[in-house]
Amino acid sequence: MATSIEEKPDFKWIGKSIRRVEDPRYLVGRGGYIGDIKLPGMLYTAVLRSPFAHARIGSIDTGEALEVPGVVAVFTGQDCKEKMNPCANFGPPTITQYPLAVDKVRYCGEAVVAVVAESRYAAEDGVEAVEVDFEPLDPVVDPIAAIGPGAPVLHEEHGNNLAYERIFEFGEVDDAFREADVVVEDKLHWGRSSGMPLDTCGAVARPALNGSLEVYCNSLNFNFFIWLVAAALKLPSNKFTVIPVPAGGSFGSKFFAHKVPTLAGFLALQTGRPVAYIEDRLDHITNSDHHGSDRYYDVRMGLKSDGTITALDVDVVDDYGAYLQFGVGTHGNSLSQAVGPYRLKNLRYRLRAALTNKCQQGAYRGFGSEVQNWVLERMVDKAARQLGMGPEEIRRHNFIQPDEFPYKIPTGNIYDSGNYPAVLQRAIEMLDLDKWRTEQERARKEGRHIGIGVVTTQERSVFSSTEFWFWFDKPAFPLTSSPESVTLTIDPTGEFQVQMHSQAMWGNSPETVAAMLVAEEFGVDPYKVNVSYADSAHSLPGTGPGGSRFTVMIAGAVRGASKRLRAKLFKIAAHELEASEDDLEIVEGVVRVKGVPDKSRSLAELASTAYFFALNLPEGVESGLEESCTYDHPYTTLPSDDRKDLGVFYPFMGHACHIAVIEIDAETGTHKFLDYVAVHDAGTVVNPKTLAGHVTGGAAQGIGSAMYEELVYDEDGQFKCSTFMDYLIPTAMEVPEFKLGHVETPSPYTEFGIKGGGEGGRMVAPAAISAAIDDALSDYGVRITQLPIKPSEILRQIETGTQS
Amino acid sequence: MKPPPFAYFDPTTLEEALGLKAQHGLDASVLAGGQSLVPLLNMRLASPEVLVDTNRVDGLGGLRRSNGTLELGSMVRQYVLEDDEVVAQAVPLLAAAARHVGHRENRHRGTVGGSLAHADPAAELPCLALVLSAELVARSNRGERVIPASDFFDGFMSTVLQPDEILTAVRIPVPAGNVGWGFEEVARRFGDFALAAAAALVTLGDDGSVASASVALAGVSDTPVRATEYEQALVGTDPTPDNVASAARIIERLVTTSDDIHATQVYRRKVAAVTASRAVTAAVNRARGGE
Repeated sequence: MATSIEEKPDFKWIGKSIRRVEDPRYLVGRGGYIGDIKLPGMLYTAVLRSPFAHARIGSIDTGEALEVPGVVAVFTGQDCKEKMNPCANFGPPTITQYPLAVDKVRYCGEAVVAVVAESRYAAEDGVEAVEVDFEPLDPVVDPIAAIGPGAPVLHEEHGNNLAYERIFEFGEVDDAFREADVVVEDKLHWGRSSGMPLDTCGAVARPALNGSLEVYCNSLNFNFFIWLVAAALKLPSNKFTVIPVPAGGSFGSKFFAHKVPTLAGFLALQTGRPVAYIEDRLDHITNSDHHGSDRYYDVRMGLKSDGTITALDVDVVDDYGAYLQFGVGTHGNSLSQAVGPYRLKNLRYRLRAALTNKCQQGAYRGFGSEVQNWVLERMVDKAARQLGMGPEEIRRHNFIQPDEFPYKIPTGNIYDSGNYPAVLQRAIEMLDLDKWRTEQERARKEGRHIGIGVVTTQERSVFSSTEFWFWFDKPAFPLTSSPESVTLTIDPTGEFQVQMHSQAMWGNSPETVAAMLVAEEFGVDPYKVNVSYADSAHSLPGTGPGGSRFTVMIAGAVRGASKRLRAKLFKIAAHELEASEDDLEIVEGVVRVKGVPDKSRSLAELASTAYFFALNLPEGVESGLEESCTYDHPYTTLPSDDRKDLGVFYPFMGHACHIAVIEIDAETGTHKFLDYVAVHDAGTVVNPKTLAGHVTGGAAQGIGSAMYEELVYDEDGQFKCSTFMDYLIPTAMEVPEFKLGHVETPSPYTEFGIKGGGEGGRMVAPAAISAAIDDALSDYGVRITQLPIKPSEILRQIETGTQS
Repeated sequence: MKPPPFAYFDPTTLEEALGLKAQHGLDASVLAGGQSLVPLLNMRLASPEVLVDTNRVDGLGGLRRSNGTLELGSMVRQYVLEDDEVVAQAVPLLAAAARHVGHRENRHRGTVGGSLAHADPAAELPCLALVLSAELVARSNRGERVIPASDFFDGFMSTVLQPDEILTAVRIPVPAGNVGWGFEEVARRFGDFALAAAAALVTLGDDGSVASASVALAGVSDTPVRATEYEQALVGTDPTPDNVASAARIIERLVTTSDDIHATQVYRRKVAAVTASRAVTAAVNRARGGE
């Protein structure tokens, strides 16, 4: 499957498709999810949600609710305001939020009142009995109107609905457009969709010893953020412990989902009892602060007549909803790969962040970079059509070439390595593009509409935290760390323990990765390695899974800890074997003298010495076999003061080519996938099976964002899709089988040359699908300019095309 | 998403169940397969005081064919329509169209009677009852009523069932002679409620022209609808695909479902006509002996 670009080192485990070590416990129902946590005396929470998009909260009558059998207590936003600090926030300080709305509600579904009861049933009965006197205000739903004159203001303290505005300019944009032979323009809209994990966000909090609070929690990438929750609850951070709980999926949505543990913690502190707040589907879809990008673009692209792309001018309004928990970090992702795989030198990027009466944005697989990919590919396709070039021809012409890496793009970010022509070629061969083009011609004569979409996009990985603040000239907290840690232990009998220091498994494969890497380092069986997660009271610095960083960062940390542990093992073994440490090697779990296999000690023997026979240890060596490593981001630089160069912040640059073959029924606007090839380059592949899972799942979500999933608010700000009957996630019936391929261009900067691939197909599929539909219906002049693409829109464009 | 309190009854005989309905009337909902009612309860969109669970009621679960009629007990699970040989032989349209009712998991629990009584205008079974000229059998302590499907659906998710009545069976006339059938559905995803769906039965005369046609649609109005004008327009014509399609334009007038987040009304109009003409063309082909 893999095409070697360079000679690959001889790995024993890396590159093997082994079954995931996490799977057995999940497959037999012993996952230990948040819903499985039952503490003695635990109470349950239900939340009253705003029926209005925008309203002032008048009086709240909780009397009747408190009479409902089983209801223990009722809390309002006013209680939060009096007893806690505002929630964690990376947005402007003038846009504050609490877990329950204070004074005003700003979107349909915003939490207003929390009812705590002996059961969730009783809590919901209590919610029904609460009387809230809402005074409706005019809502603002359209982001362009929101930042225009006269719009209702969401946050009076902020003054208007423009949360952020800046123009970044890289290169000589105006000159480039003046000198361009061809300029293509378009208006594009990427609609709002979201990661929609089966397991919602949840937390169980309990007052514990010494005045501390313990929170079992399946969201929030601790411990990067955890102290912020402690601060909101007015607790010293050493009195606030989060115990990570695995989640049935995140796709980014749990990355910063802090309000759930904050609310559970608040309620436990107030009642003095363990309190669970676990979102149900309605809670989650309306109010989990995890809606994805919702962007309106005006874009121009300048080219030479030979197809050379010279300039890109992006003017984007992003509808962030009612709050701005992350600031505008999702556009840092766009800027990290703003020019795609192309040698494009001049870029203008104007960003306006609009506040509207909708649920706020959170993280969703791609974190905004997938939107830039779609926009760029849409423009490249439009230019190709105008110039009469084939989709692969214009791309080949503009690719950054393999010998140009490391390559600095206009924004300042570095692309570490890549071989874009090889990825494209592999995809073309796997699909047999010529065969499909012939078939397309043949079908067209029968009146059938087959389209082929060829796109090539970037897949940045491993964010650095500078992208959180380079937006501002005077950032409040210009952090530069985004580390990951691992503690590696060989126990007294020689068995391996790995402890990680971030949120527990979210459906990804961190334990498989860690176990494979330990196996690689020590020659042991990966299925015998046990993996656990530290709670926040015992954890080393960690940032958690996000931005396709985990495999790279865990690999770095495992390798670092392994080196330290191996050094100690060699010290002990050298002493026992009367050999030099330099002459030792470790093979299949045995430390031996090179060339003298009989002179050896098993790990169990060395562990026994390390734990039980201190007098046999060499001088200066402590008992025990445990080493930790905190692996910092391996390649981060600061932005320039004038922000003409944003520094290196997302350098491990994967790449992908997807080719979708789609047939459209021109009478109904419905579609059918006929073929689909996805070739990715994520550097050295650790486990092809789990990477294939990322590509497949990501592409399925890409199909969702492209054709089905949409979080719709009507003109009154009413939320129109609070169930899965209306929020349409593609099922196995809608997702084709993907033909997957890999090209491996190792990163020169990471351990083993790994790049992240966790966001997989979602970075690519929407562009491939859009291109395929355009191609299928080129006779009608159909062009996809907004997502999701609905059959009714396809039919409308066909009708328009037929009439003209 | 937890239901409000309700009283739950679990009768084993129809008499008991009817007694409960007589006693509680509109305050009592019948729980059949629960594929629609339970989500409504959990979202507190429905809050009946009483649930009468008919899953253990004797005598509602059978199906039989006799005297040109296929009779389905109201508690027959929807998957049976797909799997049962008797159904496939008697009314192949029913067997084929049943696959579009939700997903297999839903059909394992969902019942024929439950779907008809729920009367979602975009659901398949009410549309099929119409096109097949089915009769619905309702029982109460007052006796038995047989209601033609054409009279059964009287508004958006509403039927003529009285508060004390329970739907006990559906009687479907087994199409006699050389009847071709067709079913066509457009939905956002497979298993979703129809944006537009059409079912058709066609017989051809000796000269190959349409002798009779029955066409019904789902998803286009407050109730499932029979396309009588279209049926009349087809009778006597030579059913070439072009003729069938151009006559189908008349269907557009039946479409009253307004714009929603999944489709515009304009779209539904066009697609209703397309599904109807495709269903009829498929029926014509089958009537000619093709598959």
